Amino acid sequence: MAPKQRGKTASSSKTADKREDHAENMGLFLESSDDEAPEELTFEESKLAALRCLKEALDSARREKEVLKEKRRRRQELFQEQKKRKLLPADVLEEIDDSTSKKQKPSEHEGEEQQQQKKKKKKQKKEEWEVGAYTKESAKTMTCLNLSFATVTSVSSHCGAHSPGFPHGDGGGYIHSLKGNYKVVTVKEPASATFQQQAAEAFIQSRLYGPGSGRTTNNELLSLQNKKGKNKSAAVQFVKKDWASKERAKAEKLKKRWLLKQQIPSG
Amino acid sequence: MGEFTVHRVRFFDHTPAAVRALAFHGGSERLALARADGAVELFNFNDNYFQEKVIPGQDGRTVEALCWVGQRLFAAGLNGEITEYDLENLKPSYTVEAYGGPVWTISANSQGSLLAAGCEDGTVKMFEILEKKIQFQRNLDRQKGRIVSLSWHPTGSLIAAGLMDMIRIFDAETGRATHRLLVDRGVGTSKSQEVVVWSVLFLSDQTIISGDSAGKVQIWDGHTGTLVRTHLVSKWDVLALAVSKEEDSVIAGTSEGTIIQFQFLSSTVAQQEKEWIRTRTFKNHSHDVRALVHTETAVVSGGMDTQLVVRPLLDKVEKNTMESSLRKIAFPHRSLVCCAKKAGLLLFQFPEHLELWRLGEGEGHGRAGDSLPVKRKPEKLIHLKRKGDDQICCSALSPCGGWMSYSTVSSVRLYRIQYDDNNISITKVSKLPKSLCSVHRLCFSPDSSKLFAASSHSSVVVVALNQSECKHLSTLKPKSGSRQPVHLLVASEDGKWLAAANTACEVHVYNLHTMKLHCTVPVFRSCPTAIGINPVTSNLVSVHADQQIFEFSLGQKEYTEWSRKLQKQGLHSLWLQRDTPVTHVTFNPRNPAHILLHDTFMFCIIDQSLPLPEAKSPLYNQMMLRSLPEAERVQHSHAFKISKNFQHLLCVSLLEDLSLVVVERPLLDIMSQLPAPVRQKKFAT
Repeated sequence: MAPKQRGKTASSSKTADKREDHAENMGLFLESSDDEAPEELTFEESKLAALRCLKEALDSARREKEVLKEKRRRRQELFQEQKKRKLLPADVLEEIDDSTSKKQKPSEHEGEEQQQQKKKKKKQKKEEWEVGAYTKESAKTMTCLNLSFATVTSVSSHCGAHSPGFPHGDGGGYIHSLKGNYKVVTVKEPASATFQQQAAEAFIQSRLYGPGSGRTTNNELLSLQNKKGKNKSAAVQFVKKDWASKERAKAEKLKKRWLLKQQIPSG
Repeated sequence: MGEFTVHRVRFFDHTPAAVRALAFHGGSERLALARADGAVELFNFNDNYFQEKVIPGQDGRTVEALCWVGQRLFAAGLNGEITEYDLENLKPSYTVEAYGGPVWTISANSQGSLLAAGCEDGTVKMFEILEKKIQFQRNLDRQKGRIVSLSWHPTGSLIAAGLMDMIRIFDAETGRATHRLLVDRGVGTSKSQEVVVWSVLFLSDQTIISGDSAGKVQIWDGHTGTLVRTHLVSKWDVLALAVSKEEDSVIAGTSEGTIIQFQFLSSTVAQQEKEWIRTRTFKNHSHDVRALVHTETAVVSGGMDTQLVVRPLLDKVEKNTMESSLRKIAFPHRSLVCCAKKAGLLLFQFPEHLELWRLGEGEGHGRAGDSLPVKRKPEKLIHLKRKGDDQICCSALSPCGGWMSYSTVSSVRLYRIQYDDNNISITKVSKLPKSLCSVHRLCFSPDSSKLFAASSHSSVVVVALNQSECKHLSTLKPKSGSRQPVHLLVASEDGKWLAAANTACEVHVYNLHTMKLHCTVPVFRSCPTAIGINPVTSNLVSVHADQQIFEFSLGQKEYTEWSRKLQKQGLHSLWLQRDTPVTHVTFNPRNPAHILLHDTFMFCIIDQSLPLPEAKSPLYNQMMLRSLPEAERVQHSHAFKISKNFQHLLCVSLLEDLSLVVVERPLLDIMSQLPAPVRQKKFAT
């Protein structure tokens, strides 16, 4: 309870501050013509002005609130849409479900095989899910480039081209119900080893060059050498023509500005 | 010396990768060096630190640790694999998955029977070293957190492992952890951060020495597991440790680029008790020192600044000798640049790609030393990315510029390049003979009609090039039966001779008309670093790692008169003291008596018609000669005309129009591309 209360008081004090601010602003507004002779202002006019000011402030506050509301609404919509998009392959799944159940009916008399198939079906559902995802992806990329995936195993599916005989040994025969002329390709999985390797490399990098490692730049190191050496010379970025072009440009600009400044008082 | 127009090329952005690991084989005096890009290089310390072999790396395969077991070289990396290298065919011979995540370190016991690997998942995995492979034996007790460093006790019964925040001692037989040594975290802000024990050493008196990310070198008693002494040596990390064979000296490399030596001494003369005392500090690196080796006479170090530094310990070597001088090896000892003499093209070899440049053109004439205005700027014609995961190990451009070829460990690729006015077309030659595999060196014949490829067992494959097809002509094999790889391959201008030098110091000369071995040059003790065949006299000139120069007449099959004279008189001492090998030999077609050669810091024209320099006369006398009047010059001039105008040379070549191409790579440019150094406060800055 205590923090809540504190929060409330803080907010209330903030609003109080705001009001004070307004008051101050108004005061400034009124006192702006200080050293000149005071202009004549009727009480009415000044009151009107004050009221207008207040109204404007309120309006702007409301507008801000509305903008925020709008923003939130849009985000909410976006989330919903994303959720929908995630659910999109569901109809594909259903379709697949339908087709498998249809096909199962004729093979029911096979007794033993059926049980196996059921087991497999569960497994396959997962696979199909993946396949569905891939096809979606590939359909997306199909338009621009055809061979973006490494071809490890490739299965081509043509609508209705399959014979009713249901091949349930190999993993790739099930997506024939998918529409379109897609080519399904399993992507070469980035091995977990590479992730670990990257993590290990990141570890070294953060240890040697991460925050708190007290590093400087080569430019500074070499410049220091130039400064401390027998033959003193300027920082490396100025000695070497092709170095640090950004810094050089900035330095050039500053130099010009400085020269200009020097000229103004003298001239 | 003659006057040349010089193309001063500085657009070759060769940047070597950082040195990641070092391992020294005491028996053969060979140093293995692993770079951050996964390439492994072998240096022969007996042969003037010559870089004998380079094993190209592979994408995704980094090397984190190297280990010699007898004559076999093992490496492990963050990809979680342990690799053994085939040092004859310059490729990984096999890899074994350790199944413990990234491998941080490997270490073999002194008997050479077991290889321990420290993994990311906290296990130390033991591999049995068998005749042709390694086999997983077992895990030691699993720890929390990664194993970053490992060290065997010399007896092989105990093993120390550096982890996060602690050091563990294992019994190698039972696999049980016997001690736990807790390492203090750094003070201040780094208190919340785990300390990494980057390196650990296990000495035979059961002393353990550790270097950690808090900048401490700590000495522990392994019997009791107690801390004996802490030396705070750096504000940054202590990244590497190494111990001498006698175990009386330990060196520690830090992020500051310093190397700190500790010696096992008695603090006072009378005292018998010895302790580890910090003695010397070396600063030869501008960036982090990542790898160290303590040889008997020197400290060998490498790090992020990509240079290999050999720093002799002056109490172990004689003063003012070749041995006592500091060595920095910054550039490879083989040529990465190929120059098409007729077409004025340059081919630059990078591990990832090739670049083909057309040289610019100058205008007008000037006096010596003037720089001419550039009429046409040099332009990059082709940027060819390699295919596959393997890095490029060699490349070649034909003298006419019409063919380009490169090789990786797994394949050879040949390209036909056609130049129309402003158009360049490049087509890959699809059908290559099957004999072109595991190629270490490529070379085109001067008339661009043949491609020579040095293959396994020192053999050379000859391929005829045609517009329509490529045909395997023959495979040339030496009679010696050497299994070492060829590292130099040169064809003579008239298309009759082909010379191939291998790392067993043999130079074989083949007759290309008969496709037979013509002769073998008498084997010299030092490895040839550059060879060339004189186009007029057909003499083979070879320059060796110990800076000796020989000239061998291919017609008579014997050393020439000049070569004998040179050997009798001996080379000038200043010539012998140079510390980079000659990497290229060419000839001046106008004057057959001139031999052009270069190393990293000078290029030299040897005029065989002039007398050899006396031992007492100055070797570098070009400036002096210039100041003398014309008549006196003859008296003072000698055969070696050396120019040091150009530094950090990667290639010097003479074009057909007798202009010189000089490819430079200033160290400053390399340094500008290195990772960040540490920020050190310097007084009065």
